[in-house]
Amino acid sequence: MPVISPNVFASPVSRAVAANDAAASVPATLREKVRRLERANSVQRSGRAASVKLGIPAIDSLLPEGGLLTGALHEIEAGPGPSGRVAPHDGAALGFAAHLLGRFGPGTILWCRRAAGPSDAMPYAPALSSWFEPARLLMVTARRDEDLFWAMEEGLRCPGIAAVLGETRASDPTAGRRLSLAAEKNGVPALLLRAQPGAPQSVCATRWRIVSAPSASTPGLTDVGAARWRVELRRNRFGTPSADEIPSWLLEWNDETHCLAVVPQALHGPAGARFEERLVG
Amino acid sequence: MRLADARALLPDLVTEAGEPQADLRLVEAIAGWCDRYTPWVAIDPTGGALAPDVETACSAGGFGGDAGLLLDVTGCTHLFGEGESGERALLADLVTRLSRRDLSCRAAMADTAGAAWALARFAERQADLFCPARGQRDALAALPVEGLRLEPPILETLLKLGLRRIGDLYPMPRGPLVRRFGDQLLRRVDQALGTLDEPIEPRRLPPAFRTRLAFAEPIGRAEDIAAATSRLLAALCRQFEQAGVGARQLEIALYRVDGSVDRTSIGTSRPNRDNPKLMKLFEERLGQLDAGFGVELMILSAPEVEAWSGTQDALPDQDSPGIASGMDGTIDLADRLALRLGAENVVRLLTRDSHLPERVQIAAPVSSSPAAEGAWRRIANLKNARPTRLLQRPELVEVTAFVPDDPPSMFRWRRHAHRIVRADGPERIADEWWRPRPDGSRPPAATLPPVRDYYRVEDDDGGRFWLFRDGPYQPAANGQPTARWFLHGFCA
Repeated sequence: MPVISPNVFASPVSRAVAANDAAASVPATLREKVRRLERANSVQRSGRAASVKLGIPAIDSLLPEGGLLTGALHEIEAGPGPSGRVAPHDGAALGFAAHLLGRFGPGTILWCRRAAGPSDAMPYAPALSSWFEPARLLMVTARRDEDLFWAMEEGLRCPGIAAVLGETRASDPTAGRRLSLAAEKNGVPALLLRAQPGAPQSVCATRWRIVSAPSASTPGLTDVGAARWRVELRRNRFGTPSADEIPSWLLEWNDETHCLAVVPQALHGPAGARFEERLVG
Repeated sequence: MRLADARALLPDLVTEAGEPQADLRLVEAIAGWCDRYTPWVAIDPTGGALAPDVETACSAGGFGGDAGLLLDVTGCTHLFGEGESGERALLADLVTRLSRRDLSCRAAMADTAGAAWALARFAERQADLFCPARGQRDALAALPVEGLRLEPPILETLLKLGLRRIGDLYPMPRGPLVRRFGDQLLRRVDQALGTLDEPIEPRRLPPAFRTRLAFAEPIGRAEDIAAATSRLLAALCRQFEQAGVGARQLEIALYRVDGSVDRTSIGTSRPNRDNPKLMKLFEERLGQLDAGFGVELMILSAPEVEAWSGTQDALPDQDSPGIASGMDGTIDLADRLALRLGAENVVRLLTRDSHLPERVQIAAPVSSSPAAEGAWRRIANLKNARPTRLLQRPELVEVTAFVPDDPPSMFRWRRHAHRIVRADGPERIADEWWRPRPDGSRPPAATLPPVRDYYRVEDDDGGRFWLFRDGPYQPAANGQPTARWFLHGFCA
């Protein structure tokens, strides 16, 4: 059973009131108005929730509507590690994308990929089952990027689809714009998963960069701990501006409790290392 | 006569090499064209048309020009007129259309395939080519015995005995004939006369559901073809409703004025008789059809139908999410995607009971029933942590290990070195000895099955990988390392 963060149960009304109190200034209300105009009530029409919580309060508070917008395009890219190298296949960005997919409502998940021949690394369903039921997956392999974007768009128009994910290296602004509009019109989220940082597209609502981070071993041993990701929110349209230029968090996925949480700062800075040394001591 | 002898007699003889394959293609094309008259068309097996090479074609008694087609037009002649006049009109239409394409042909119509075969080849007068109902006994009496489709030895004996006409055989007592010639002679006579049934095996299995639309004037515009398709589809869907079935496959054939036929088909993942949805699938395909100089006839058929499950599309079921229900348009989406991307590229993932990681997950067509709820979770819980991506084919890596049985301290994959900081393992997975190897052989019973030792490692960049050692470590023999390392997956 996935453990649900307690603030899922906070009523949306109380959240809205709190937001109004905090940002009673004119620019904030104007921004809110513009956003409503831009989004054209599309989500309300399709009867889905406007946004879905990530389950991490620190991130959700920055996002519009207190979570990831359902009727929008989101990009997830794998970033280079500390050595500046990007792996040809990345498991961490896929894990984060699967976590997001698991948060979106019931229905089929359309997963579109490019055919990559014998050196291809397919998503592996036994691992994906930590985030969502792989029986919900409809896997589509396209030979060309045009076909992939077409399949994604067709999926966004289909009422039974909960979310659409496209795995590609191509970044086509026109296709991004079309996907964004289709997602907005139908209230179905579209995710683009990139194995490499692509050219920044201006149309997506959020862009995330995921880099796998060293995990925490059991003190005194050198085993592989729970998966840790350095998550950067590099674009946050309609969202609350944050103090940092690029807000970034170190997240840890606990496969036993099915919980994604921010690693406390004290445990991963230099102090954290000292703390572990002391424990080993 | 050999070619050299013929050339000696006639020095400027024009010769061409025989091409049985090209001849067969032509005969098949004509047979396909004949689908306009009846779905029940067969290429005559006694002619030389089906022979694979020149020698067998010649020994079969005919080559090229002797090719024949058998059409069962029962129940099709009313499209050309009432009763006998319709049959005559069909025959005349067939001959006119074929001769307009510079194909010389002789067509005969009779109650039995044998009688028509004999008449088409040996009838002397044009009027004899049409044999009225139950008139084959009289019509055949005057024809030579070659018209009975007999083996050459039997034919030779008959001629030696002076039995030259089929009518000569009628008064003969049957017992001595069988004793003298075996059962073939009388079987052929009975088949020709209709006392013994001779089924025609059609070239293409005729579909049970089929609608046709003939045009007074050939049509060519894409909109006209789409409109005609929609009319045909509406008629076919009514047939489906009466029969309580839905289509799994539909085929549309355009019969063009130049005699060629263009076909295209669509497939669905579940029995479908929803006119608008099928039309939407066809719209994707109609663009690929070429009307050529114009289309004079369109036939829509359903080669594959299945019993209709009796569900209504109008009532979506909120309680059963996913593609299992298929009510929410997902199946239609899958059909649309499969039509453009190929059915093998639109799949769902099913579980398989296996210990080998690469065998657990199989791609299955959308029409298959999905994995049970929680089946994946159960598999995941049985095993240690699994990678989020699995390489289709494990890739060989070079490793450095201080202790042979330990996880490596460094591995090199695709020309990049990864220094390993943390490692988990091993998890030993043995090969499934009860399953034959890929080459079909079974491992000998005495040997241990090959094993793999899987390690989950993390490099200094934080990347997590899934490596395995192919078999336990053994001391190197003749300088060859006995255990190789492979990279198999990427962890979250």
